[in-house]
Amino acid sequence: MASLKLEHIKKVYDKNVVAVHDFNLEIKDKEFIVFVGPSGCGKSTTLRMIAGLEDISGGTLTIGDRVVNDVEPKDRDIAMVFQNYALYPHITVYENMAFSLRLRKMNNEEVHRRVCQAAEILGITEYLARKPKNLSGGQRQRVAIGRAIVREPQVFLMDEPLSNLDAKLRNQMRAEIILLRKRIDTTFIYVTHDQTEAMTLGDRIVIMKDGYIQQVGTPQEVFETPRNLFVAGFIGSPQMNFLKAKLVKSGNGYAAELYGIRVPLSEEKCALLAKNGTGTQDVILGVRPEHTQLVFNQTENTIEGTLRVNEMMGSELHLHVDLADGTSVILRIPTLDLTEEQRRGLTYGSKLRFTFPEKVAHLFDPKTEESLLFQEQ
Amino acid sequence: MVDLNYLKMSKPQKFIHNLGKFFMSLPGRIGGGFVKLGRSIGGFFKGIALAIADLFTTFKNGDWKTRLSYLVMGSGSLARGQWGRGLMFFLFQTVFNLYMVNFGMAYLSKLGTLGTVATEKVGRKTVYGDNSFLILLYGVLTLFFVLAFIYTWYMNIKQNRIAQQIEASGRKLKSTKEDLQSLADSQFHKTLLALPTLGVFVFTILPIFFMILVAFTNFDYNHQPPSKLFTWVGFENFKQLLSSGSANYGDTFRQVLFWTLVWAFFATFLNYFLGMFVAIMINKKGIKLKKVWRTILVMTIAIPQFVSLLYVSKMFAADGLINTYLMKWHWISQPIPFWTNPGWARFTIILINIWIGIPYLMLIATGILMNIPADLYESARIDGANAMQMYGKITLPYMLFVTGPYLLTSFTGNINNFNVIFLLSQGKPMGLAGNAGHTDLLITWLYRMTVSDTNYKIAAVIGIMVFVVLAVINLVVYNLIPSVKNEEDFQ
Amino acid sequence: MTNNANVAAGQQKLRSKKGHERRVNGTIYTVLTVMSIVWLVPFVFLVLQSFRSYKLEKGGMVDYLLPKHFSLDNYAFLFEGSNFFSWLGKALIVALVAAAVAAVLIHLCAKLLDRGEDSHGRRIALIGGSLLAGFVALVAMTMAMQGFTLAGSWKNLAISLLLYALAGWIMARVYLKQDSKLLRTIPGYVLEDKHQGIKKFCAMFAEFGALALIIQCILAPMTMSQYVRWYGNTLTIALFTAVIQTAIVLSVSYSLSRLRFKGRKLIMNVVLILGLFPGFLTMITLYFLLKQLGLTQAGAVPGLILIYCASSGMGYYISKGFFDTIPKSLDESARIDGATRFQVFLKIIMPLAKPIVIYTILMAFMAPWGDYVFASYVAFGHQDGYNVAVGLYNWVNTNDFQNYFTRFCAGGVLVAVPITALFLALQKYYVEGVTGGAVKG
Repeated sequence: MASLKLEHIKKVYDKNVVAVHDFNLEIKDKEFIVFVGPSGCGKSTTLRMIAGLEDISGGTLTIGDRVVNDVEPKDRDIAMVFQNYALYPHITVYENMAFSLRLRKMNNEEVHRRVCQAAEILGITEYLARKPKNLSGGQRQRVAIGRAIVREPQVFLMDEPLSNLDAKLRNQMRAEIILLRKRIDTTFIYVTHDQTEAMTLGDRIVIMKDGYIQQVGTPQEVFETPRNLFVAGFIGSPQMNFLKAKLVKSGNGYAAELYGIRVPLSEEKCALLAKNGTGTQDVILGVRPEHTQLVFNQTENTIEGTLRVNEMMGSELHLHVDLADGTSVILRIPTLDLTEEQRRGLTYGSKLRFTFPEKVAHLFDPKTEESLLFQEQ
Repeated sequence: MVDLNYLKMSKPQKFIHNLGKFFMSLPGRIGGGFVKLGRSIGGFFKGIALAIADLFTTFKNGDWKTRLSYLVMGSGSLARGQWGRGLMFFLFQTVFNLYMVNFGMAYLSKLGTLGTVATEKVGRKTVYGDNSFLILLYGVLTLFFVLAFIYTWYMNIKQNRIAQQIEASGRKLKSTKEDLQSLADSQFHKTLLALPTLGVFVFTILPIFFMILVAFTNFDYNHQPPSKLFTWVGFENFKQLLSSGSANYGDTFRQVLFWTLVWAFFATFLNYFLGMFVAIMINKKGIKLKKVWRTILVMTIAIPQFVSLLYVSKMFAADGLINTYLMKWHWISQPIPFWTNPGWARFTIILINIWIGIPYLMLIATGILMNIPADLYESARIDGANAMQMYGKITLPYMLFVTGPYLLTSFTGNINNFNVIFLLSQGKPMGLAGNAGHTDLLITWLYRMTVSDTNYKIAAVIGIMVFVVLAVINLVVYNLIPSVKNEEDFQ
Repeated sequence: MTNNANVAAGQQKLRSKKGHERRVNGTIYTVLTVMSIVWLVPFVFLVLQSFRSYKLEKGGMVDYLLPKHFSLDNYAFLFEGSNFFSWLGKALIVALVAAAVAAVLIHLCAKLLDRGEDSHGRRIALIGGSLLAGFVALVAMTMAMQGFTLAGSWKNLAISLLLYALAGWIMARVYLKQDSKLLRTIPGYVLEDKHQGIKKFCAMFAEFGALALIIQCILAPMTMSQYVRWYGNTLTIALFTAVIQTAIVLSVSYSLSRLRFKGRKLIMNVVLILGLFPGFLTMITLYFLLKQLGLTQAGAVPGLILIYCASSGMGYYISKGFFDTIPKSLDESARIDGATRFQVFLKIIMPLAKPIVIYTILMAFMAPWGDYVFASYVAFGHQDGYNVAVGLYNWVNTNDFQNYFTRFCAGGVLVAVPITALFLALQKYYVEGVTGGAVKG
């Protein structure tokens, strides 16, 4: 139940290794924020600085309206769930959950009430008397969350809490976290390397790489208008296809030329390009696999490729296709869109043609890797 | 870059290659070491220069509280309301001043000569002069105290600077209560380490420093304070210990050093391999009563060594059980000179040490054997390896890899293994110059030099030599171990 | 045909393999049996020779093993002039009764408290009152046992009262708090949780036993023979060393393993270098320092405790290695949960480090029993300051050892038996410590 403000937060190790550069973010009260990025991007370091487990090398961190740079973790009124759960192995689940309350010298009745309530929410009441080693991974995860809930903290931190679980359990726990969030309604900061978790859980997503924030936005924003090549490639699965293209003038507006086809750009895009001062130049054109369409009876304005791998995913096919210059792209085609015959024709080495609507094309500058269509909201 | 040629080599070739590489790189390493040393010394002086520059700027920019602290330690903290810290600083300064005026200065000033006024007998009364021992000991102590004072004084000023910055930025200073609370939290290491550090300082660092200095004096039976003075003699004692000749100990030193190394080698590696062998036997599948065997062997660890070793040494004596029974059965006509013949004595010691040492290694090897992942053996069996090959290719390399550092500590420990030698043979048979025996290690010789010969100067030099030997061995092995690790990485 | 032959060959092979296996195992059993004999023989001899009377036969080295008459003369000699057995017997009876009385009293208190209001004052009054009653009983019993010949003054009584109150308070806490994880007593720490009842009684008995012994030492000291005094010295040294050294080693290894501070690397490097100097190098300096403090000769016992403990922080490797294996996230989690580092140490790390704590205690306790060098140097000719190692070494290695050899054997047996029993009981922890230490170097 507090807002957070991170201003120019910086982390430097051993005087010269910079893990986090100039991190600026305002987190609103009761917001669910997800830090996402590949390993080593500084997301966990940032979270640990918020928790107080790492010193802050520069900048100010404010929780509520208190600067907490030099405040010990125990006085920050935060709770945290660790990747490996960090349950105390020598005491029971009950005592694990009561640990923080007992340290606060809370009276026994209140401790009991809170622990039982949290156990109820998480469905672990019957395991309260067990020691952590007698629990399964999912149960341990619940205890770890329970231990954080009983605190009723201002801020709830989660450091890759689902990455030690198997795929099925992970999906289940993800759904439960969404429900949990509805019930306890406080500020959440959640760190993950998994973009699916980020998209499904976050009110806003902070995408990081090499210690820098790449983009901050709602899941929809980062998906539809990625700010740069990295974000475009990181969000969405399978990854967005990047094709070399040329931006040319066409009448009043622009068109993109690639692999012998010409895609005239919409007025909206042209306006943005003009505003960003773009001329004719080489660009990278990004298309998500799910936005491509196979074309069987037409050759003009389609791109030809050779099929390398055909992955049958059930409701859809993932086709790995090599283009004339060796670029590899992935097409994601719903099975229902194809006839039986068409499907049978998709064998190794067969030629095929595909296209995509103009609306879904993203344009990036190959040098700066920034999006040419990005607009600050 | 992967060196494919290296991968192609056979094991012995690899070993020779690595050894060659090590010796080729030795000049570079040594050079590198000196450069590093030089750099860290340079860094040290640079740090001091920076600190001094810091002192000036702090004084220039400081308020009156900070400036006063240059003269009266802790006054700044007191003026800022941090009375806990301030009082500590102030007390420290007071104690230091009192110590120096009443005690320290007198000793420090005589450190150069270690005293000049000899003790004399005036009539029937003894008039005590300077006591060189006390001058050296308290002189060193005072020296340390002065260094500690300078450091604390600097810290006192640094704290003022930081406090001033905090005040300038409008934040609140830590109160004494918060200071005390932090001793259980962010400064907990100070609480935990204060007493152990003090203990190590007074009972290890100070005495070692003192003894190192004694090596450069003529402190021995002829120069025993308080009746006699001793003084600095430079490297005289080192010369006496290392050079040959009738008045010198060079020959003895070389013999004792040689035996020390031989002993350490056997005591370490013989026990190591035999212990591992026993562990493999006991842990073999299908052997029953594992726990019983283990417990029987462990008895030699459990029973205090002074009981077991003293008893065994008597068993092997000329009139001990072994000799008397062998003679009774007419297997021998003369007692075997277990303790009186140098060769026999050395052999017996190594033999008895096996009895003491195997169980220990057996326990360690058992622990490690159980940790070797079973799938290593399974995949080896599928690849068609037999028992011997599995031992040679998996068990032994794994053991060596995991216990590499232990072997080094064990070797070091055996060089200093006083108890076994002392309780078994007391270094006897005697017969070397400098009152050393044929089974004496450097450490038992050092002990005799100190206790019965009171030849402290030579004892100190022997101690330094032990340090040098151990330091060289440790440095070489530490440098070799990484190459071993790269080759047989099991992690 | 061929098929049958194959099967037969296979069976043959299997049988020969089995035979081979049996031969190998046979060899191993033989080797192990021989080794066991070699390992045990000296100890059997030691025990046998300790029964050879120094009065009826020769007390020195003889050319036969089995004593002609089995006698306890050697053992009797060790206790000659000491009222050790009656003293100990009385102390044990007092301890047992006191523990039982206290158990009943505390139990009754607990019952009463369960029923009534949970008021703090009442609680204190009840526990305090019953403990006071228990104390009076304890002192009265000690006095009665000693035949009212006490030289006890008010000071001694006050000290014992303080000790008693302390022990009673601890016991009451352990006993009243059903789910107490503050394992404050050694038996409580060693025993597994499932034996709650036994644990409590052991804890109680151990505490009151120690208490009764201490009170007896103060109110009615035992008269000692030389050997009993040496033994007592060594036991005192070992107990104090075990406690202090463990505290120091754990503090140092915890700091170096879990806390990050300036100078941490420096401390580790300095300790590494200091470790390369031989220990006896500094003997004269240590002797001088102890002499300045008045802790040589007559003061050898506290002097030795000081020497054993002062530099023990340098032996942190093994326990640090163990601490390093406890996940750091536990500390972090506890700190976020509101614990100070001190509380993390006490409530999280200590319970988890139980094996290494016990290992450290065991090692610290056993080491003083075998130390001859420092012990003889510090006591220097003052017989009352010897430990058993020095005393027995002198018996066997002075000129008249001819007469003292069997008495040495008896003395050795009395030292070896309890130490060995303790070691074998805690063997598990020892193995854990050495293997962990060896693997990590």
